[in-house]
Amino acid sequence: MGIYELINFYVIPGLVLGSIYALGAVGITLVFGILRFAHLAHGDLATFGAFTALAVVATTGVNPWIALPVAMVICAALAVGIDKVFYDYLSERPKIITVMASLGIALMLRSLIQVIWGVDTETYTRGIVRPDNYWGFRIRDRELYTLLAMFAITGALWLFLQKTKWGKAMRAMSDNPDLALLSGVDNRLTTMLTWAIVGALCAASGFFLGLNTELKSMMGWTMLLPMFAAAILGGVGRVEGAVLGGLVVGVAEELSVLVLPSEYKAAMAFAILIVILLVRPTGLLKGKLL
Amino acid sequence: MTSVLESAPPSQVAGNPVNKQLVLDMQDVRGGYGDADILHGVSMQVHAGELVAIIGPNGAGKSTAMKAIFGLLNVRGGQINVANTDIAGWKPNNIVKHGVCYVPQVNNIFRDMTILENLEMGAFLRKGDCSAAFDKVFQLFPDLKERRYAHAGNLSGGQRQMVAMGRALMLDPSLILLDEPTAGLSPKYMDQIFEITCNLREEGLAVLLVEQHAKQALAFADRGYVLASGHNRHEGTGAALLADQEVAEMFLGG
Amino acid sequence: MELLGYLNYAVYMAIFIGIYAILALALNIQWGFTGLFNAGVAGFFAVGAYTSAILTSAAAEGRLGGYELPVIVGWLASMLAAGAIAWPIGKICLRFRSDYLAIATIGIAEIIRLVIKSEGWLTGGARGISKIPRPFSDFEYLYTQLSYLALVMIALFLVYYMIERQLKAPWGRMMRAIRDNEAAANAMGKNIEARRLQAFVFGSAIMGLGGAMLAHYYRSITPEAIDPMIATFLVWIMLILGGSGNNKGAILGVVVVWIIWSMSEFVTDSLPAEYAIKAKYLRIFIIGLLLQLVLRFRPEGILPETAKSSTSTSDQQTSNNNKGEAEPSPAQSA
Repeated sequence: MGIYELINFYVIPGLVLGSIYALGAVGITLVFGILRFAHLAHGDLATFGAFTALAVVATTGVNPWIALPVAMVICAALAVGIDKVFYDYLSERPKIITVMASLGIALMLRSLIQVIWGVDTETYTRGIVRPDNYWGFRIRDRELYTLLAMFAITGALWLFLQKTKWGKAMRAMSDNPDLALLSGVDNRLTTMLTWAIVGALCAASGFFLGLNTELKSMMGWTMLLPMFAAAILGGVGRVEGAVLGGLVVGVAEELSVLVLPSEYKAAMAFAILIVILLVRPTGLLKGKLL
Repeated sequence: MTSVLESAPPSQVAGNPVNKQLVLDMQDVRGGYGDADILHGVSMQVHAGELVAIIGPNGAGKSTAMKAIFGLLNVRGGQINVANTDIAGWKPNNIVKHGVCYVPQVNNIFRDMTILENLEMGAFLRKGDCSAAFDKVFQLFPDLKERRYAHAGNLSGGQRQMVAMGRALMLDPSLILLDEPTAGLSPKYMDQIFEITCNLREEGLAVLLVEQHAKQALAFADRGYVLASGHNRHEGTGAALLADQEVAEMFLGG
Repeated sequence: MELLGYLNYAVYMAIFIGIYAILALALNIQWGFTGLFNAGVAGFFAVGAYTSAILTSAAAEGRLGGYELPVIVGWLASMLAAGAIAWPIGKICLRFRSDYLAIATIGIAEIIRLVIKSEGWLTGGARGISKIPRPFSDFEYLYTQLSYLALVMIALFLVYYMIERQLKAPWGRMMRAIRDNEAAANAMGKNIEARRLQAFVFGSAIMGLGGAMLAHYYRSITPEAIDPMIATFLVWIMLILGGSGNNKGAILGVVVVWIIWSMSEFVTDSLPAEYAIKAKYLRIFIIGLLLQLVLRFRPEGILPETAKSSTSTSDQQTSNNNKGEAEPSPAQSA
């Protein structure tokens, strides 16, 4: 197999898939790091975001790219709402209770999606898009945009966390929540801000999965494992780690087809998760270990 | 932010609280974690420009008393007046706004953030320009200025303690609570921390200190309180407590 | 024969309740007594179901089988197989907070689902395995049903008895100590990891048994027979609603949830077809909502765990370990 073939058929699709995972994994790593629990409804929140964008496209006929920010805003509001109505009441209890509640939320979100949009597969646009050829590398526009958008969104988030007052408050809460409180940070506001960001990231992740493949009610749930593998691989609490982890998991899944039957793509994420927990549980970029 | 500093010039006569303004007035405070009381009526007072040490055996409620002031446990009785306002039951972020800062004994820095960011978090509630506060903290802790872009988690124990104190001072508090600031430090850093603590007093701050190193603490302190089993046992000037036979036998290791 | 119809239905319900009660007790070992979050109940369940089916069924073309071993051997093997899969997962993940176990068990359940779907030579693929023998199947219908019910009840009783006996033994006291206060248990020098691993493997093995019992009752098993997420979730809500940490509560929870679940099926089935499908999803939504309500308003369940030690509060009963919590409750006082 030539290098072009390897890149065109495995690495590029892997990077695109990895970008989608990365957007989700960044959200997972924020919840894991700042709010300190594994958010199992993450995938289904992404599905909800994807279908929200579809609804915007279907009702207004706008370009899917215009639907994306709308879906991000709606999903952000939904995530803040879910926290306010369900998770917040459990905040004084052991975190594992919130993990359980999030599993219930996952099921509720999915059944809601199935009630509203049904279980058929949908797409944002019809027709087959052929990849363009750049010096022998074949890549579709939407794939290029997915990669660029992922770097733009996560880059903006990184800057927000490094440079702004509330971004620093989020990092402080992730680092030492008691001390953040002692410094006068209102942890409730930080929590709401975190959920808004996480919801928006979920919508972006679901949108790009829908754009590059198709929309199904189970699409988010199947993404949950690779997203967690990516977050833990990168190091819990590390945004740049989640991006790296997402890309690694995406490429690894695509490359796994070379040695494993393609049905077992999903097993690759699990294998990565287990190996990283065995050899370096803090992840590549030395994150937290809860 | 309420500040009581303007009307309270640092007194010349250390150990004589009469002509200084009362910053903390804690009266008969009872409370603890959950339903169990640890404090069974603790009273203490700290004036502006005064360094007060709390000493006592393990489990006496020293750190607990400090946490009670800062709203970190359930206070079920008594009053905690700071600048003439009862703050019992307030949330920590409101207590910070009221001019009280607290440096916990452990986990008192943001390890993954730089020194500068630690100090910025200390100034979180401050509006507008904070450069004066930075200058003041860097003047107190010149070591920190040099290493301000270093991650706090990579510092030595003594430097971490300085970051922790620096963070608390960023808000220009009228009262600072220090929970065993010298625990686990080398003698060199211990002296340095005591020296800085004394400087804070000279600048007119009210300093309340919990210490295991009781003898050194009392030597520096204007006054001290001895707690045992959640009660006040003794109080007096640092020198008087050091000289007291019973205190010496029971709490200072003879 | 109206009455016979009702009787048949009652027995059918009772068998299901019995099997789910076994699953709920298994989960109670892991969650209720040890604080381990297993989100892959359906995976261990499926492993048990397929293991027993392969070992006991007649030969079929295109897949492994034809051993025709006695049912009891199949059941024991189902426990072994489920336990054997649980062991490495537990070995790797139990060192960390239970969140990691939750993720890993979701993963293993997903992989088990993939294997079942893709490895036709082993599992019959989408067609599944049929003609699984059922004990007493040469009796008249009702008597077959009743005999099977008796078997389920015996198995349930044995599991219940074993767990209760273990709980009263030093093992059980130690488990509670570990769950309620890891720091204290550590200080006592107990080998926590090994105990947790025992609970996880033992619980998973019993889930395997539950799967085997259901497969032999259905007489066939296909990948579509059980929606993994819903099966797992039903067992969870049964345990939480009934009262985790209390075996009687767990069984009561099974009865309550199973009745709600079946009744709601009656309602949705009687709707016109275009609404029936949507109503099916609405049922799942309501079950999810029920969990939220229980967690918020009655976290201890209908029958709370009887407080054996004075220190355990209702929160600690369902707790795992508290380290790394975000609450500003510095427990280390002066």
